[in-house]
Amino acid sequence: MSSRVCIVGVGQTHHRGPGGNLAYYEIAFDAARAALQDTGLTRGDIDTVLASGWDVLDGRTISDMYLVPAAGGYLKDSAKVADDGILAFAYAYMRIASGAFDTALVMGHGHAEGPTELVSNVTMDPFFYRPLGMSATAALALEACSYAAHYGVSEGQAAAVAEKNRRQGVNNPYAHLRSAITRDQVLASKVVAWPLRELDCRPESVGAVALVLCSEDRAKRIASSWATVEGIGWATSSYYIGATDLWRLDALANAARQAYVMAGIDDPMAELDVAEVHDVTSYHELMAYEGMGWAQEGSGGRLLEEGATSMEGRLPVNPSGGALSTNIGAGTGLLRVAEAALQVTGRADGRQVEARTALAHGVSGLAGSIGQTHGVVILRGR
Amino acid sequence: MTSQQEEPLTIDGRWDIPYRHTAGKAATRFFRELKENRRIVGARCPSCRRVLVPPRGFCERCFVPVDEFVEVEDKGTLTTFTIVYAHFTSLPPPPYCVGIIKLDGADTGLIHYVGGVDLQDMEAAKKAISVGMRLQAIWRDEREGKITDIEYFRPT
Amino acid sequence: MPRRVAIVGVGLTRCSSWRKDVAYPELVYEATSAALQDTGITPNDVDAVVYGCMDPFDGVNAPEKWNVDACAAAGMLNKPYLKISTGGTTGGSTALAAYYHVASGLHDVVLAVASQRVGETLEAQLVLNTAVDPVYERGFGMGAITIAAIQACSHMHAYHSTEEDLALVSVRNHENALNNPFAHLRTKFSVKDALGSPMLSWPLRLSDCCPSSDGACAIVFASEEKARKLARQPSWITGAGQITDNYFAGDRYWYEDWDSLAMLARRVYRLAKIDDPMREFDVAELYNAFTIQEILEYEALGFCEPGKGAEMVRRGVTAMDGQLPVDPSGGVLCTNAIGASGLIRVAEAALQVMGKAGQRQVPNVKKALAHSWGATIGFHTLMVLDREAP
Repeated sequence: MSSRVCIVGVGQTHHRGPGGNLAYYEIAFDAARAALQDTGLTRGDIDTVLASGWDVLDGRTISDMYLVPAAGGYLKDSAKVADDGILAFAYAYMRIASGAFDTALVMGHGHAEGPTELVSNVTMDPFFYRPLGMSATAALALEACSYAAHYGVSEGQAAAVAEKNRRQGVNNPYAHLRSAITRDQVLASKVVAWPLRELDCRPESVGAVALVLCSEDRAKRIASSWATVEGIGWATSSYYIGATDLWRLDALANAARQAYVMAGIDDPMAELDVAEVHDVTSYHELMAYEGMGWAQEGSGGRLLEEGATSMEGRLPVNPSGGALSTNIGAGTGLLRVAEAALQVTGRADGRQVEARTALAHGVSGLAGSIGQTHGVVILRGR
Repeated sequence: MTSQQEEPLTIDGRWDIPYRHTAGKAATRFFRELKENRRIVGARCPSCRRVLVPPRGFCERCFVPVDEFVEVEDKGTLTTFTIVYAHFTSLPPPPYCVGIIKLDGADTGLIHYVGGVDLQDMEAAKKAISVGMRLQAIWRDEREGKITDIEYFRPT
Repeated sequence: MPRRVAIVGVGLTRCSSWRKDVAYPELVYEATSAALQDTGITPNDVDAVVYGCMDPFDGVNAPEKWNVDACAAAGMLNKPYLKISTGGTTGGSTALAAYYHVASGLHDVVLAVASQRVGETLEAQLVLNTAVDPVYERGFGMGAITIAAIQACSHMHAYHSTEEDLALVSVRNHENALNNPFAHLRTKFSVKDALGSPMLSWPLRLSDCCPSSDGACAIVFASEEKARKLARQPSWITGAGQITDNYFAGDRYWYEDWDSLAMLARRVYRLAKIDDPMREFDVAELYNAFTIQEILEYEALGFCEPGKGAEMVRRGVTAMDGQLPVDPSGGVLCTNAIGASGLIRVAEAALQVMGKAGQRQVPNVKKALAHSWGATIGFHTLMVLDREAP
């Protein structure tokens, strides 16, 4: 029988813009210390550490040599998932569920020391994609364009996502960008890769987030509140984007289905109280509503216009301000899990909604729409 | 399908990816001491009391922040070394000797060059350099706040 | 206790300095289709995929994106997909991740894939140099060869092992590789030849060092229920683990003993209920990228006392006809597709337990050990494979 897995602690730095005087693994150290302090545990109580992120973005081959000790993993059984931290979370979940480990620390970080677009360009194959200047943003733009054209989604509808998330980010004491913007400002911002404008895209933020997970048995002994993982799923999309329907996030639909089935959720709109969705672009949040089954195909924009996903709506999405307010590179999907955990344990200062069941979604966006792996985690608070 | 063997199609690639690495507070102090005060500092962990050279912002064993700096000697003992004779693209031209030096007062080793020895003749070099030997830092007169402010460590 | 997991099928590719006959996804496809065929399953039977490789050796960053569809059509079928990257231990780590995918109860049939195209990197040492801390250590031209040379210097100083001992290790592995159709280097030579090869980084010569190889490997892991249906003789995992030592190469400056490996061995032996490794293991696939490392590994793994590893080599204890054959495949010394090499060790050990190791089969293997190391030698993985379920 698998052990049930709980999140008992969260630590994050105050996310900010590039620069500063901390080496990237020192930022990770701060988040790990904060997570341990949050739980009252010490390094000695942790059995395993899972780091995340991309070497080439860090500018260090084998960057886990630095990250794992900084996350408390010195001499421990640890590993690095070279992708978004939500996938490191999935691996930590499996290690504990197997019964081989009891307590894990998962780390996600972003330090903006490397050029993300260029790094994503060298992720492309050198024959068919790279010479055409394909990069993460270009690949995401292809998806956004496809979605908008297929369903007639307007750029105004996408801009509304940015307006919502930036407005909500103001309430989050940890967010990087804490200033509201209007739809008009989004629509007036420079086109980066059509149809994506600057304000439809994520900023570059520096920060880290760490979570402490443990078995339910242990959680009961050491914590007064925790978030139990009720469902989890992840899935990837094809490299050959010319052969797939780019207007639908099929991998997300698969990941969400795995999580819903595990959690026993039949009607997500009714049964979820809050969601932290990885808004890699404003269009992608609308696509995510549909992939998650909250809106009919093509109707994501309307769901938002109805107010369903605002703070007062039926299913508030991104009370934290989302990735459009804070983008810590490969740590961003893990940050969604952290924020969801804070929501269901009543510790989301300034941005709290009444929530017992939360959904967290993360994407590995290194290559944009290519080989895009989505992770979905459903948490219930105790 | 051709019946002949075709030469494989290839494309040349080169990555020229710029980075700007942040050294962190501990390293910033270390390099300032090298440049301005011609001395080597380590960081002492408040918990295990090890003096860590090179210094770093936290002790990975005790998992606490480290911010006490102590001076260590600019001489020490060679714990191990190698002499590189092969040439690798963009790495220093051979021959060069790199070793780990435990400076007097430090609990961890520092990587640096061993120099002041003729390395061209391998047999002679192996006689001149040995594990356990004592070394002294040779400082540059013009220092920039880099690890190369020490030119090399010379056998004494 | 974790639920039982076994390896039920393996796929390997021919390795060479440059597999110029294939594009990257085709190379990976060679390994994954071989593994599926070996197991008798189709892509639809695979529940999840774990992919390991080191970035950025292949000239393509995060090549698991490019290769996703070569892994049992994972991208086209929107399968769960996870990438592992932990330096030289990547392959071993990938095996561990696949093991936990199944042990967790979430997945029943998991495909582990690892690859590297070191042949596409025109200067591998330069890439390895980028692993070394740029603030304090990188400027000294440290790479894998220099670190291994430092290990050799220390071991020779402390335990009086000799260059001849290293040559004996080299000769034995190269001879073993002649039995392995997938190995990269398959040439026989003598101790005299070895000692005459050029000195790269004293005391290591060319014959002491691994080649740079292109290659891929895939392994199918299964739950107990599936394993018993899919394989006549599954290879059960009875113990496994990983360890992470510190990153500054100078922190643990006594290189004559490989403490981090000894620590991990104690933990994994306890899990696998191994008391006397020399007597209980029938074969070991060790990550011997450099000859000296094999000697250090014998000592750290408790095959002999500290300092007595060279003696084992001289006495032929680890030869094919010795008490504990090491690296019948020729090891990493003959084939190093870096990110894949750790998984290849697991694959070779599994083939030995399953009795499918062809000409390199050691007779009657009940228990096998697979090892990998990585980083500035502070990472290790170990996996114990057994004919019988735990």
